[in-house]
Amino acid sequence: MPSDPGSPKLHPHLKTCFSAELVGLKATTTSQRLLATPWTCTAERGPRALPPMPSQDTGDEMPPAKPKKKKSKKESNGVEDPEEAGMEMGVVSQGQSETREPMTPEPQELPPQRKKKKKKVQAAVDVEGDPAGPSDLLNGDGAEPNTEAEEVPRKTKKKKKLKTANEVQCANELGVEDDDIITDAQAPIPQHSLFSAPLGQSQPVGKVFVERNRRFQAADRLDLGKPSDHADDLMEVKALWTTRDVAMRVHSSFRVIGLFSHGFLAGYAVWNIIVVYVLAGEQLSNLPNLLQQYHPLAYPAQSLLYLLLAISTVSAFDRVNLAKATMALRGFLTLDPAALASFLYFAALILSLSQQMTSDRINLYPSANESLWPPGSEQQILQPWIVVNLVVALLVGLAWVFISTRPEMDYTEEFLMAMEVEEYPRQNDKTEMSA
Amino acid sequence: MLQTSNYSLVLLIQLALLTYDLFVNSFSELLRAAPVIQLVLFIIQDIAILFNVIIVLLMLFNTYVFQVGLVSLLMERFRALIVLSNLYLALSIALHCWILNLRWLRSNSFVWTDGLGTLFVFQRLAAVLYYYFYKRATEYLGDPRLYEDSPWLRDAFARARQ
Repeated sequence: MPSDPGSPKLHPHLKTCFSAELVGLKATTTSQRLLATPWTCTAERGPRALPPMPSQDTGDEMPPAKPKKKKSKKESNGVEDPEEAGMEMGVVSQGQSETREPMTPEPQELPPQRKKKKKKVQAAVDVEGDPAGPSDLLNGDGAEPNTEAEEVPRKTKKKKKLKTANEVQCANELGVEDDDIITDAQAPIPQHSLFSAPLGQSQPVGKVFVERNRRFQAADRLDLGKPSDHADDLMEVKALWTTRDVAMRVHSSFRVIGLFSHGFLAGYAVWNIIVVYVLAGEQLSNLPNLLQQYHPLAYPAQSLLYLLLAISTVSAFDRVNLAKATMALRGFLTLDPAALASFLYFAALILSLSQQMTSDRINLYPSANESLWPPGSEQQILQPWIVVNLVVALLVGLAWVFISTRPEMDYTEEFLMAMEVEEYPRQNDKTEMSA
Repeated sequence: MLQTSNYSLVLLIQLALLTYDLFVNSFSELLRAAPVIQLVLFIIQDIAILFNVIIVLLMLFNTYVFQVGLVSLLMERFRALIVLSNLYLALSIALHCWILNLRWLRSNSFVWTDGLGTLFVFQRLAAVLYYYFYKRATEYLGDPRLYEDSPWLRDAFARARQ
């Protein structure tokens, strides 16, 4: 339609609105008509640059419902929906996708690509449908260099600058009153964000990928609130259990085992020596009886003694914090019960281990030949063994008494706790900083 | 930063290996009916010691203190453990070889000599010290300061540079 030179002058924005309506209507009608030939729609967009038309004329020709709906949507959204903007293409691409769908094995992977295409097409549409572009065309300045420069890959900043420059220029030229300026037309401005992809609709899918247990897992966007609360709870629980807490728990557990071991060892050693003396008879006069009765017990007793002595010694070392040489030395010099106990346990351990050979000899008594147990050698072999066992029993009994005087004392635990004390100021600083 | 669950798992493995080691040291003499049983027990024990040493070394490498280069700080704390672990491993292998060599043909016989007895005593004593130092080291490796930047570490770093 040729432009009517006699038509009343309109503000560029008004004209833009009209032209947009026109374009939309034109596009819908053409798309409806030419649905079978999809790409003709884009070709039809060429005539979008048709000269403007008074609103009365369009109202006569076109049904007013659709354009108004579109416009209201645009205004309500603020940002032009890409699918809305690319409606003409949307119809076409839908048609295409419907035809292609049975052929494509993974239809879910298509939408992002299609959307990209849509965005590209829509970008082209926006460039043409930009308020600055058509306004120039409407003013009959279609050959202006500014409009020619507006291409798809142009950046947003430049576009804004150009647009504002055009607006100012048009306002100066036309001298329109402020009342004529439609403020609602400012709404399409954010549509420039469509050119910078990450700013706009960056989450096209309903899923959000959340990192849990070092893996990204898909989660619904709507349900995101609940898992986050759950995760917070978990974090709180985890925050309560730090690595130091685990270490402290292990340490305290072992202290309980050690405490049990101290008592059991003392009782076992005393029982062992009583049994030996009872079986040996008065003044060790009945040693063959001892060997006969005790030989199956000798090696298991030795093994159990080593097990209990090892646990008790480690526990006693823990209490005195042997690794800190200065602390351990100070404990020994001040006759600290834990230091004395650890010394007694270590001595008992050495003595007990030194009797391993004799225990094995007793163990092999039934199958022994004369070289292992020469006749009359029982007294010579067994007496030191009985004395050493007696000393071991006394040592572990004494150590148990020392430990029992202060069972709660544990320098290693204090040392671990001391680290925590040192850390308090730092944690306070952190909370202050976060606040 | 060391995760609590990871640390708990590693600690569990270490303590399990230590417990196995203590069990074998205590009762291996009772399980000598067939030399093969002792052979298997000893091989697993030596591998367990080796594994424990490797785990503790990996944990040391994982610390932030090690990564910033303050190896001396770690060595100061864990030197005794590393030395004792190696000593214990060497003593264990030596004792196991010696005992199995003597008992391979006659498992239920008296094989003790003075040298073997001495080696046995030293190996068992080293085992107790190794248990103590290893347990202490695993607990100390749970210290969160070793895994993050902190004023304490900065002070240590400044002192090391001077």
